[in-house]
Amino acid sequence: MVSKVGLKTVFASFVAALALYAPVPSAGEQSDKTAAAGAARPALDYEFFKARVQPIFLKTRSEDHVRCYACHQVSRHPAGLHLELLPPGQNTWTEEQSRRNFETVSKLVVPGTPLSSLFLLMPLVPEAGGMADTHQGGRQFASQDDPDWKNMEAWVRGQKASGSSAP
Amino acid sequence: MTMNLTTVKSYLFLRHLSILWILLAMPLAAETARIYVTNRGGTTIDVIDPKTNKVVHVIKGFVSPEVARFSPDGNRIYIPSRSDENVLTVMDRKSEKIIKKVPLSGWANDAAVTKDGRLVLVCIRNTGTTAEDIGALDIIDATSLEKIKSIPTKRGLHDIAVTRDSKYAAVGSPPARSLIVFDLQRMEIAWEVQYDQGVQPLDIESGPDGSGRRIFAQLNQTNGFSVVDFAKRQEVARIKHPDEPTGFGPACEGISHGIGISPDGKTVWANSRPANSVFVYSLPEIKLLGHVSLPEVQVPGKPNRGGGPAWITFTPDSKTVYVSTCGTKSVTAIDLKTMKEVARIPVGEVPDRISTLVLP
Repeated sequence: MVSKVGLKTVFASFVAALALYAPVPSAGEQSDKTAAAGAARPALDYEFFKARVQPIFLKTRSEDHVRCYACHQVSRHPAGLHLELLPPGQNTWTEEQSRRNFETVSKLVVPGTPLSSLFLLMPLVPEAGGMADTHQGGRQFASQDDPDWKNMEAWVRGQKASGSSAP
Repeated sequence: MTMNLTTVKSYLFLRHLSILWILLAMPLAAETARIYVTNRGGTTIDVIDPKTNKVVHVIKGFVSPEVARFSPDGNRIYIPSRSDENVLTVMDRKSEKIIKKVPLSGWANDAAVTKDGRLVLVCIRNTGTTAEDIGALDIIDATSLEKIKSIPTKRGLHDIAVTRDSKYAAVGSPPARSLIVFDLQRMEIAWEVQYDQGVQPLDIESGPDGSGRRIFAQLNQTNGFSVVDFAKRQEVARIKHPDEPTGFGPACEGISHGIGISPDGKTVWANSRPANSVFVYSLPEIKLLGHVSLPEVQVPGKPNRGGGPAWITFTPDSKTVYVSTCGTKSVTAIDLKTMKEVARIPVGEVPDRISTLVLP
């Protein structure tokens, strides 16, 4: 059993880490944030997640980096970004598992405000506004222009699989 | 004339003999060591030559390697990793050919080799496939390279240290908040110390006969470490680091991570993440000698962050200590005597456990 205190500690650490390390938003980002706070948060699109975000977890992005799944599978990462175990012999998740992954990852983002979302900050290098120096998986994304990072950001902003932005 | 020639011959003989003695003595004087750094955010192991403090070799192809441990003759490297298959990779050090992949009971963390080289001990963090972790200590016979025993534990195991007489192993379990001592002759749990917080890296102080005397164990919410008396089987002191320096963030995991006793047994070095430093205490009295600041993460336009001190190792002559800092992708070499940084060595992604190979 994952202890309640353990989960609380993990959550508190995340909150503390976010408070300490989250990038100070620029004026534009701040107005983005204010607008997002004032308006309804965009809905996160499952199909976009499944097609454009979830595959990133299984991708070996460079030979110097370990893929996300190596550490974030649920048996190795009980809290936070804990991904479903791949079915034996399979190289992707079932529909049901993808839905659960979607639910898990959705809890780690603030829809509409990517730079307040731990999911986007943890693997991003500090020089680009991220917190990858505190990430045990290291500096996965060297800049906010990385195509994979941009897909993750687009999902958090509410982009739909059809291409339209939300809401 | 004849006498003189004999004298000259004798002189030359003695001179050659002395040179031979010097040559024979050299390997002993210049004991060769290498520092192995497992880069857990990547796929490589960096090998540092402590004479130059440079990376002289990179071993590639391991998914998130956990640690590198060695056979006493230095011929074999044992490497657990986070590959999909839960195995202990046994590698020939010189050729780097894989000798065997030994199946393990689950996802492995730290490993240790008994001083006699007979057993390889692997901490299993989770034997299951769910978030609800169940641990084990896997015991591998170093001759047959077969797992000969898996001792189950309530929760996952993280770090391990072995007494010099190879009779006991002390292992920390962060989720169970316990320190577990295994009897390696009976191959069973001997005793446990229960804490109110998770047990992180640890080291064992051995007596002159190699038996365990004290265990120094870091706890994940204590800026310091716990002292456990081996004979009493209980915590006898909790050492708290000074309050200053402070102000650095939590970094990669826990606030205390990385502890080691110098090979000469005279000092214990313990990392502190709030201080972004390593604190030094004399042994056996555990008296504070000072601290050494560790590298910081520089973020443009923001205050520097802690580098995330991770693990510690020493050269066998107790002259240099090496501290990995996971957030800075570097290893810091520190002179033990002066407590001054002598080198900062760039390494791979998220340098974590760090260990010393002594070449015979």
